[in-house]
Amino acid sequence: MLRVAMRVNGAEVSGEIEARTLLVEFLRQHLGLTGTHVGCDTTQCGCCTVHVNDVGMKSCTLLAIGCDGADITTIEGLARPDGLHPMQAAFCDNHGLQCGFCTPGMIMSATDMVRRKGHDLDAATVRKELEGNICRCTGYHNIVKAVQAGAAAMKTA
Amino acid sequence: MRDFTYHRPKTLDDAAALLAVEDSRPMSGGMSLLPSMKLRLSDWAHIVDLAAVPNLSGVREEGGQIVVGARTTHVQVATSQLLHARLPALAELAEGIGDPLVRNRGTIGGSIANADPAADYPSAVLALRATIVTNLREISGDTFFNGLFETALEPCEIVTAVRFARARRAAYAKYRHPASRYAVVGAFVAQYDDEVRVAVTGASSHVFRIAEIEALLRDNFSVAAIESVAPTLPAMNADLFASADYRAHLVVEMVRRAVAAASSRNALAD
Amino acid sequence: MMDDVTKPAGIGASVRRKEDQRLVTGHGCFSDDFRAPGELFAVFLRSPHPHARIVAIDPSAALAVEGVRAVLSGAELTADGIKPLPHHIWALHPADIAMPNTDGSETFTAPHHAMAIDKVRHVGEIVAMIVATSIAIAKDAADLVQVDYDILPSVTNTWDTVEADAPVLWEQNGSNVCGDVEVGDRAATEKAFAQAAHVARIRTWVQRVAGVPMEPRAALAEFDPATGRMTLSAGSGGSVRLKHDLAFMIGAPPEDVRVIMKDVGGNFGTRGMIYPEFCLVAWASRRLQTPVKWTAERSESFQSDYQARDLAVVAELALDASGKFLAMRGSNIGNAGAHTSNFSPLQKGVEIMTSIYDVPAACFRARPVVSNTLPTRPYRSAGRPEVMFVMERLIDIAAAEFGFDRVELRRRNLLQKAQLPYDNPLGMTFDNGDYHTVMEQVLELGDWRGFEARRADAKRRGKLRGIGLANYVDTATGVPRERAEVTVRPDGQVDVVIGTISQGQGHETSFAQLATEFLHVPIEQVNIITGDTDVVKFGGGTHSGRGMRLASIVIWKASNEIIAKSKRLAALVLGGAPDDVLFERGRLRLGEKSLSLFDVARAAAERNDLPDDLRAPLCAVCDESVNEAAFPYGSHVCEVEIDPALGTVEIVNYSTTDDVGRAVNPMIIHGQTHGGIAQGVGQALMEQIVYDRDTGQLLTGSFMDYTMPRADNFPFFQAAFAEIPCTTHPLGIRPAGEGGTTPALGVTINAVVHALQEFGVTHIDMPATPEKIWRLIQQGAKAT
Repeated sequence: MLRVAMRVNGAEVSGEIEARTLLVEFLRQHLGLTGTHVGCDTTQCGCCTVHVNDVGMKSCTLLAIGCDGADITTIEGLARPDGLHPMQAAFCDNHGLQCGFCTPGMIMSATDMVRRKGHDLDAATVRKELEGNICRCTGYHNIVKAVQAGAAAMKTA
Repeated sequence: MRDFTYHRPKTLDDAAALLAVEDSRPMSGGMSLLPSMKLRLSDWAHIVDLAAVPNLSGVREEGGQIVVGARTTHVQVATSQLLHARLPALAELAEGIGDPLVRNRGTIGGSIANADPAADYPSAVLALRATIVTNLREISGDTFFNGLFETALEPCEIVTAVRFARARRAAYAKYRHPASRYAVVGAFVAQYDDEVRVAVTGASSHVFRIAEIEALLRDNFSVAAIESVAPTLPAMNADLFASADYRAHLVVEMVRRAVAAASSRNALAD
Repeated sequence: MMDDVTKPAGIGASVRRKEDQRLVTGHGCFSDDFRAPGELFAVFLRSPHPHARIVAIDPSAALAVEGVRAVLSGAELTADGIKPLPHHIWALHPADIAMPNTDGSETFTAPHHAMAIDKVRHVGEIVAMIVATSIAIAKDAADLVQVDYDILPSVTNTWDTVEADAPVLWEQNGSNVCGDVEVGDRAATEKAFAQAAHVARIRTWVQRVAGVPMEPRAALAEFDPATGRMTLSAGSGGSVRLKHDLAFMIGAPPEDVRVIMKDVGGNFGTRGMIYPEFCLVAWASRRLQTPVKWTAERSESFQSDYQARDLAVVAELALDASGKFLAMRGSNIGNAGAHTSNFSPLQKGVEIMTSIYDVPAACFRARPVVSNTLPTRPYRSAGRPEVMFVMERLIDIAAAEFGFDRVELRRRNLLQKAQLPYDNPLGMTFDNGDYHTVMEQVLELGDWRGFEARRADAKRRGKLRGIGLANYVDTATGVPRERAEVTVRPDGQVDVVIGTISQGQGHETSFAQLATEFLHVPIEQVNIITGDTDVVKFGGGTHSGRGMRLASIVIWKASNEIIAKSKRLAALVLGGAPDDVLFERGRLRLGEKSLSLFDVARAAAERNDLPDDLRAPLCAVCDESVNEAAFPYGSHVCEVEIDPALGTVEIVNYSTTDDVGRAVNPMIIHGQTHGGIAQGVGQALMEQIVYDRDTGQLLTGSFMDYTMPRADNFPFFQAAFAEIPCTTHPLGIRPAGEGGTTPALGVTINAVVHALQEFGVTHIDMPATPEKIWRLIQQGAKAT
């Protein structure tokens, strides 16, 4: 067993893991942070997206031990003490979710998109940048609207 | 995934030493290696994570060549100011790899060492007269890819950088698989003063060049020059999405599109 | 009159969803989020062969692995008397047509055991279950289970199944054909065909797809040795049915089985029936007296989730010289997969073959067949998208072949308002609607008239542009019974216990809107309680457009009973006659005096002078069966651009007008439409489950091969709806969950074929992949 320590949502955490333990397994099973989901096994669906040192990544394709010392933000760590993160609020306001399973990954991916592409996102850009996230419920229509609105709201927030 | 021993060496020499042990595999971004291990398509007794090895990432210009560190991520290549000014085709290629979250993690060295027949970078290696720099030697890109997932790398050899020769004009055109996002066909075209190179990935067991088209373009770098060409191609891959003859058609079409994109680009000054 | 406070959240309001708060913050509870102390983990060894006899299974090497607690296979399953899955092969609603075999014989069914007993009949069928202290150990051990197979020839292709020399899955049936049914009037149909001026023909295969809810299935079984009770935490299409099915399979009294589900990550029909794994983890938990958990990986989902569609059709449409439809006939073969699990898509399709057109006579042969593929079951509008595809394609084929305008041909034959209610020639009775108006609305919305200018512009850009139109009708039947229990609590909350849980449809909000509407209480104070069979007594589940349709009736009736009781209580409290009490703006008024519902609930709790039926809690139950069907309908227009050099299709415009009757939450309905369109377009253009025709191997086993629609496959949709009150529903509500998908297959292919018109293309089978389109263009270019 290996000892791993990292900062997750602002808190120092550690655990005993196998080398093969994936980051998503560490988050879900060791830390009980079940907001990060697993929707596939081929690194395509994006349900498991988290931020590693502020960069969006698929936690199903990262070794937990490889994240030793890293700063991780999951969907549980996105909201602020005074309420939802603007991107979370935008998903609610725009009906950007139905079953909600892909939603944590969508939101973490969307906030990463804003970091990379800025606040003023046209629909075509959002659609292209959502390439790594799959949703089965919404037809993406309201997700795209939510990301656009959330990106704009993050500017003033 | 079967369990393994995890190593995180701090120097290149330590990494090489660890790789000397049987059944060891270096890992860079892990975007190809980990999925194949998760599906139990491959397993290794030792994984040597190169994350702590210094000086392996970044893009710089050196003696008229573009040097990309092996651990430079796809997103770093895609957004490199230097590349956008000096070799924009390479940045464009990187912008189309996988998806944004994969690009945030995956690296050029990992991609090239893995030699997936549908990966994008191998086409740039061939078309841009690249040299693969390793801890042991320099390998000409022309002799690097030998077959399906096969490269010239020795077991203890670690890619440290890739050196690309700046082209006058270049472009990459990719037809991506709608599910996997890999290249069904990716064509990289680069024009040099003395030659034109056309390299195609995704279509065959490994990346290949098309001499017939290169010759036509050397004399006349335009879409018109290859309008009616029907080149001799190696054995085409065939899968659910694209049969061999559709792929052969896509090869020519993607080359055409890459030439069109490159010719609309102003030739870069030195 | 509505109260100002509650009006914004009653029927017709686009209320933001109550469930979203937890789902956007990562605090939902999906199946894999359930944990139990001491839990063991199950991994399933699945057949790599499509058809084989199991000669021997040797678990000894696996059992020797440290941490392995059990390796179980068909022998133990049989010894423990675990029963097969209790499938209902046909739809259970009285409005759906009966499907008797023409020769009077019984429809063939065979037991579907949770694990293979003697033979495996599809790739992925469970051969053994390994239970261990971790998933990784169980997987390591699974690699060590030795299975000796005697490999048999297989058949996967639907057309092939009925051939005389096809390998037979179930020897006792002698062939793969499980039923042979004729519906409609053969003599009248033949007569009409004899008089036809034109006959349009199609032979097509509506390909097999997978439902692919984003949450892979998972289940945690906890057997309590002290009480003998079994608790299964697992997402499904309905908790109550799962409870009864599980109780049956493991041989437990239903009261000893509890099913819990909280958040469910999509369904679309895929989760509509119990699965082998759910029973197997429960059985293992009981055997080992320890909680046992299983979570599917996506590649396992592709080998184990029920699949869908897979209908082979030959059909003909007879027209007179003026284009009037005279009759329709044909044959449908529905591929049920390896087990006789569900034939209802075949039934629900064939009963509405003629759609909302005036077709005086029709006759169809319908055959459910088995093959060496995953079992199929209803998926997003089961059966209807398939046959709407056939009808809408036939109309476009007839228009192209015989020189009619596509829209005029539809106008000429759509049923008129005055013809409704309408008995269709296959045994269904449509309710009400205004088919013509809705079609004209979507033509307007999709700017049909402006198309040629857009086509010319596309041509200048080197693109082929096409536009398609399709109408549809949807038979909403399903399990007819639903139950609601409404309780007004003195502390200011209203609890609504209802049997049907959401898998993304937003019931916590839309059902709460109903209580808000009927009881005039703020939506924040309404709690929808569902998903635990110790609380929920009955519920039919989500399918066939029944969720809102039935929930609204039972919540409405229970609310009315609450109001009636409240009036009597208020009369007692305020001193007067119940008939003089008015229920207004959420208050019970008697002259100048008034009480809130919650005051009344408090009185019911506190007073000791009440008649028995008014004593606390202030509660009402409505348990009702609704035996009438509903027929939502609508029209879609799709516009595409094709890159002729690649064959790729871009959806550039997609417009819908669906008659949803009275809309409860327009925001949610639009969301349902958007998602439905994506699933329909996905089938039309990219999705397909492929088995190798020779080897029977599943070739689309992961997201690397199975193309899921992504954000960049679509434009923004233009979704509108008509709200013509449904006459078969007391509140005028029509189902709205399937309309996005039902016509999407047909309308998309109609648009693609239209774009390829100049190449002489008249039809393309789904999915219309780039290579297929490119080939048609090549052939067309050669021919001209």
